[in-house]
Amino acid sequence: MPDPLLMKYAGQPGREAIAAYLATGGYEGATRALKELTPDEIVALVEASGLRGRGGAGFPTGRKWRLTPKREGDVRYLVVNADEGEPGTFKDRTLIEGDPHQILEGVLISSYANGVHQAFIYIRGEMFLGQERLSRALAEAYGRGFFGKNILGTGFDLDVVIHRGAGSYECGEETALLESLEGRRGEPRVKPPYYPAVRGLYDRPTVLNNAETMAHIPHIVRLGVDGYKAYGPPILYSVSGHVMRPGVKELPIGTPLREIIFEHAGGLRPGRAFKAVFPGGSSAAILTAEHLDTPADFDSLAKLGSMLGSSAIIVMDDTTCIPAVIRRTIEFYRDESCGKCTPCREGTIWLSQILDRILEGHGRMEDLELMDNVAQQMTGICLCALGESVPPALRASLRYFRDEYVQHIKTGTCDVAPAPVAAGGSA
Amino acid sequence: MSSAPPATTVRLTIDGREVVVPKGTTVYTAAKQAGIEIPTFCYHDRMAPLGACRVCLVEVEKMPKLATSCTQEAGDGMVVHTVSEKAQAGQRSILELLLINHPLDCPICDKGGECPLQDNTLKFGPGQSRFVEVKRTYRKHLRMGPTLVLDRERCILCWRCVRFGEIVAGDDALQGFERGYHSQIATPQMAPVHSKFIGNTIEICPVGALTSATYRFRSRPWDNRAVKSICPHCGCGCATTLNVRGNDLDRTRSREHPEVNDVWLCDKGFFGYEFVQSPERLTAPLVRKDGALREATWEEALDRIAGALRETPADAVGVIGGARSTNEDNYLLLRLFRGVVGTNSIDFRTDTANPLPVSSAPWGLPGSIADVERADAIVLVGCDLTEEYPIVWLRVKKAVDRGARLVILNPWELEVARWATHSLTHRWGAEAALLEALAGRRDAVEVAAKSGAPADRLRGAAEALAKASRPLVLLGRTAVERPDGAQVLAAAEAIRDAFPAAQIGLLRGRANSGGAQLLGLVPDMLPGYRPIGDADARAAVEAVWGRPVSEAAGLTTRGMLEAARSGALKLLYVVGADPATDYPDAHAWEEARRGLGLLVVHDLFLTRTASSADVVLPVLAYAEKAGTVGNIEGRVQRQDAAVRGPGTARSDGQIFSAIAERLGTELAFASWEAVFAEVAALIPGWAEDARMAPPRPAPVAAPAGAHDDTAPGPAADGALALVVGTRLFDRGTMALRCPGIRGQAGEPFVGLHPDDAARLGIVEGTLCEVRSPRAALRLAVRALPGLHPGHAYVPRGYESAPASVLQDERGPVAVTVRPAGGGA
Amino acid sequence: MTARVLSGGTLAEIARLRGLYPRAQSALLPALHAAQDQVGYLTPEVMEDVADALGLTTTEVSSVASYYTMFFTKPVGRHKVRVCTNLSCYLNGAEQVLHHLCQRLGVAPGETTADGQVLVEAVECLGACEEAPVLLADATRHPRVTTAAIDDLVERLR
Ligand SMILES: Cc1cc2nc3c(=O)[nH]c(=O)nc-3n(C[C@H](O)[C@H](O)[C@H](O)COP(=O)(O)O)c2cc1C
Ligand code: SF4
Ligand code: FES
Repeated sequence: MPDPLLMKYAGQPGREAIAAYLATGGYEGATRALKELTPDEIVALVEASGLRGRGGAGFPTGRKWRLTPKREGDVRYLVVNADEGEPGTFKDRTLIEGDPHQILEGVLISSYANGVHQAFIYIRGEMFLGQERLSRALAEAYGRGFFGKNILGTGFDLDVVIHRGAGSYECGEETALLESLEGRRGEPRVKPPYYPAVRGLYDRPTVLNNAETMAHIPHIVRLGVDGYKAYGPPILYSVSGHVMRPGVKELPIGTPLREIIFEHAGGLRPGRAFKAVFPGGSSAAILTAEHLDTPADFDSLAKLGSMLGSSAIIVMDDTTCIPAVIRRTIEFYRDESCGKCTPCREGTIWLSQILDRILEGHGRMEDLELMDNVAQQMTGICLCALGESVPPALRASLRYFRDEYVQHIKTGTCDVAPAPVAAGGSA
Repeated sequence: MSSAPPATTVRLTIDGREVVVPKGTTVYTAAKQAGIEIPTFCYHDRMAPLGACRVCLVEVEKMPKLATSCTQEAGDGMVVHTVSEKAQAGQRSILELLLINHPLDCPICDKGGECPLQDNTLKFGPGQSRFVEVKRTYRKHLRMGPTLVLDRERCILCWRCVRFGEIVAGDDALQGFERGYHSQIATPQMAPVHSKFIGNTIEICPVGALTSATYRFRSRPWDNRAVKSICPHCGCGCATTLNVRGNDLDRTRSREHPEVNDVWLCDKGFFGYEFVQSPERLTAPLVRKDGALREATWEEALDRIAGALRETPADAVGVIGGARSTNEDNYLLLRLFRGVVGTNSIDFRTDTANPLPVSSAPWGLPGSIADVERADAIVLVGCDLTEEYPIVWLRVKKAVDRGARLVILNPWELEVARWATHSLTHRWGAEAALLEALAGRRDAVEVAAKSGAPADRLRGAAEALAKASRPLVLLGRTAVERPDGAQVLAAAEAIRDAFPAAQIGLLRGRANSGGAQLLGLVPDMLPGYRPIGDADARAAVEAVWGRPVSEAAGLTTRGMLEAARSGALKLLYVVGADPATDYPDAHAWEEARRGLGLLVVHDLFLTRTASSADVVLPVLAYAEKAGTVGNIEGRVQRQDAAVRGPGTARSDGQIFSAIAERLGTELAFASWEAVFAEVAALIPGWAEDARMAPPRPAPVAAPAGAHDDTAPGPAADGALALVVGTRLFDRGTMALRCPGIRGQAGEPFVGLHPDDAARLGIVEGTLCEVRSPRAALRLAVRALPGLHPGHAYVPRGYESAPASVLQDERGPVAVTVRPAGGGA
Repeated sequence: MTARVLSGGTLAEIARLRGLYPRAQSALLPALHAAQDQVGYLTPEVMEDVADALGLTTTEVSSVASYYTMFFTKPVGRHKVRVCTNLSCYLNGAEQVLHHLCQRLGVAPGETTADGQVLVEAVECLGACEEAPVLLADATRHPRVTTAAIDDLVERLR
């Protein structure tokens, strides 16, 4: 197993200082890109690397860049999605806090590759420490001439603005993010006809990528396609929930769930049995023990009707009440729904009302049919993927854990104890 | 942007039917063309698709998911199903989800019977609901001002009303607040809605969430008779439908006219109808007997008038008014006064003392109202567009959205300034100089110094104009109705010389002014804009009338008042006008009144003018008579009679015929159509909906003179230049009797720039005495940060405080503003 | 037009922010953050000031402000304690954390203590699941929160 690429230095004290970053070869990729490579060569590199977006949709990054019209003299923008809000996902925050220059270098290279002179980093409003470190890093990088006018004497200009969100999961959705960046309510734009690549920020062609996606770019340029691929290619799994060693695990993409959970994340708490897992954030259908040997990659998980999404692995042991967990996820989507489209706005409130009844002991057997049907009706007709993220987990839970719902309906309770909060001093 | 690709068509199949549509058409529109109905809520064909409500789902073969037909572009070879099981299931799901939180209080809902949600549920909806939870509740029926009622429980969040305010009106009147299932339509702190177009949101709301405060519970749609009418207020002549139950006028709705109002109306049009059935309407003639006006029979009244007309020499008779009558009424007016009585002293322009000759400055637009949206630069000079001609603003807004540059020159900042590329406030009177600067005839810096408008913005505006290929200059009354108005016009023509493509319009006139001008209710014109000096024109008229027509031009309104004062004019006949209030010099009017032997007035109400008259005749209102009217485009439009008039009120035309008869001339026509036909014989092209713009005016010779220095600046004693402005919502004779309008007008006031107020030591709200050399008014002070310093703004149209008492027909006046009671 | 509530400093900051973007409205969220930092919450007057500073309508500004959970249109505590209650924290006792904190402060989630010092909010995933259960005390993140940790946090905030 190769040692980590993106996470190698992440979290080292003082890592956000540019000196520390430069000392380990920082901005070499960018220097090479601007001085030795043409934009097209870089797009080709990224395409050949097979890098797929890390925001959740897994769209091939190189192809996205190719889709962006590059007419001479046209204004284009680069927007980095650092709004990380998918439950269970914390890789972007880890990189931003732990090695911010890695992302900034990616921004520089990507902007050059796409003929962009103005970039925006949309950072989650609640990510206070990340904002502070990223801003410090950016200021220092400006000071060293990696941003601003005539960068590294190449005549290339680039300005970067860090834009702070204000509390909205939906603003992570690319078009809602653009609306928010334009100073409006975080409501998504209808796609098709227009995708950000063609008509994005201020209706201009816009390259919009996830923060982790940016962090891969310097390494691809530095190591070349084969050198980069030799690392797996790498991906960051955010592992959390009922595991002994939660955290960001940089592993070759496609590492089996069992290995991720039981080796890299230290397995379950003593005496506990595995119950279920969200393999790609709460927007992914939950899986059970029988699926543990599935490689955690885009296609294998899709085959199971789930998804890799933002590669956030949330593990649940036998102390977990599945209906309660599902209610929590539905509440989340209900409260984060922007309210623009009917199915998401009304479907989430309806489903959460039904779940409340069931968990309060007033459930009816027909409610299971009804929930599954309402969820199924929502599928495929919502304006954006937030609404589409509601049904999978719920419907999977009705499939795999129907008996838990039935118990709640029949007895008004269940026999799993909620995990107690540790009493000792803060670790 | 990229040049448009060659227009091509696509061929697709919808429900088995072949449809061919231009590339770029949506599936929804294509289906509609093929006569296939797909339910919609958020989509409105005057706004870009939003794709929010999701009800318009259709199945497109080879597409993984259902598509919203309102956003889906029709593709070549596409196969679409709107009634397949899958499509219908999608539509049903949305309707079920929309209904779970809808109160279903249809029996008590105004929308009942004309509700898209009701209709779509019937046609496309689920059988019954599976929803057993608690519905979302809000406080019902929020009053959002005098005209709008909001019921958030009924709202289905289609966003139409919000987007109307953003896209069409540009006033942001209603917005979405909160989010998710808490999302709601509101204003900040639920304050009364601030808009001049809110009635349209009531029209396009697909449920009963937005309803009219004046129509609520009045009636059910199926009881309503719909009558074609034309809005009687500003001069745009918007097409309306009047809803009538029995003899009750229930509401006004907009009627589509692509060239005029499209599908919209302003709120004066929507809510300005209740005056028609006011209990204060005049129901019988009044004749002055020993000093007092007393009810009289029509015979008495008409004999009195006929007698006076017989005794008075023709050149001592004058007629003013006509803007509120139909063209047919006005034609009979001409036949009576030009033909039978023999006077040319006829003028429909009763509210100006300095009219420019129609031959060089006709009132109205150079093209259609729709043409305005095709201009690529628009210059508004002394024209408070949203207050005076709101529907024209909607076209300007569209032009702006298409990239047109908007330049505004005005002594006060207009409420639409934020849409302007260059908005300049300046000293009143500097318009001519500013226009010459725009035309590149004068140095921006020098003009800036004189006008008080910032030089850089003036230069910017000039550059913006220079870039335009279809500029449109719209002059308003604030700019031209001064003794030096001719210079302003000449300066505007300088722009036309600089940019030959430039069009110039003079935005003036209300109600049927356009028709009155077209028929020649002016001292020097005959029907069809033909000069009275033109022998052929006279011959043509004489041939039809069988009467000689004098070639000598008559007097203007101002001329008639002067003649009355000097005793040369004895009999003044006022048709549907209130010069005592509206003529910009109340003092001059009163002196003239004293000089008159007989004052006759046609009106709906006992106006200030009427109450000083010798004979007052009750006439029918627009909704009570059929006929045609003309608008600021010179378009002739038809209106039908909706309700019966009060008491013995008659149409102006009937009255003129009756008088003619008493003077021994048969002027009886079988119907208004017969009159219309006779006019057609005199005016080539005269026809329903024909637009007869005046011939391109002859340039005026600009009288020399330091014309931009006539406005008195602020003097040491704190004197300010009086500027009088128009308000859409005022408290004039009609508005006072329309709760929806009156409620929004507020009290009369004097507006001051905060710096002037501070200089005079006056705080907002103080009751002040506003004194001009003519007289004084007591008005509360309002701070107007957008007003150019050195001016005092007083709105016209407040019956209780007519600005005209301060004005002087000879020109601008300076006023002093002092706390009432306090000060010297 | 002079500002109603916003200080010269805040207005200058808003002007600076405005300069960062091709269109003024893009500065709205950062401007509202700046205004809220000065005043504590967004009063109607504050939003009018922001609207004037950016050339927007007050309706637009207050509509946008009402969308985002980090903007407050009512008075709230000087200190803001945000307890993550989403999945990973929920699975690790977030409910007990929230319950204990509220009990210690005598408030319900979403409420501010009587002395106006502390606002307690239940929030969604803070993107720090490896530290579950997590809370944010103003700008400081507290990992693996325990009842003891809550107790001395409460002491420090009081
Ligand atoms: C409701 C919702 C929330 C999202 N949140 C995020 C996010 O926090 N960060 C992110 O990078 N992508 C997020 N996405 C995905 C983005 O829409 C977009 O696909 C991604 O940022 C593109 O970057 P990539 O191509 O590098 O993955 C979200 C999508 C949805 C529907
Ligand atoms: S009030 Fe009417 S128009 Fe406005 S969003 Fe609600 S349903 Fe639509
Ligand atoms: S009408 Fe098509 S989405 Fe609303």
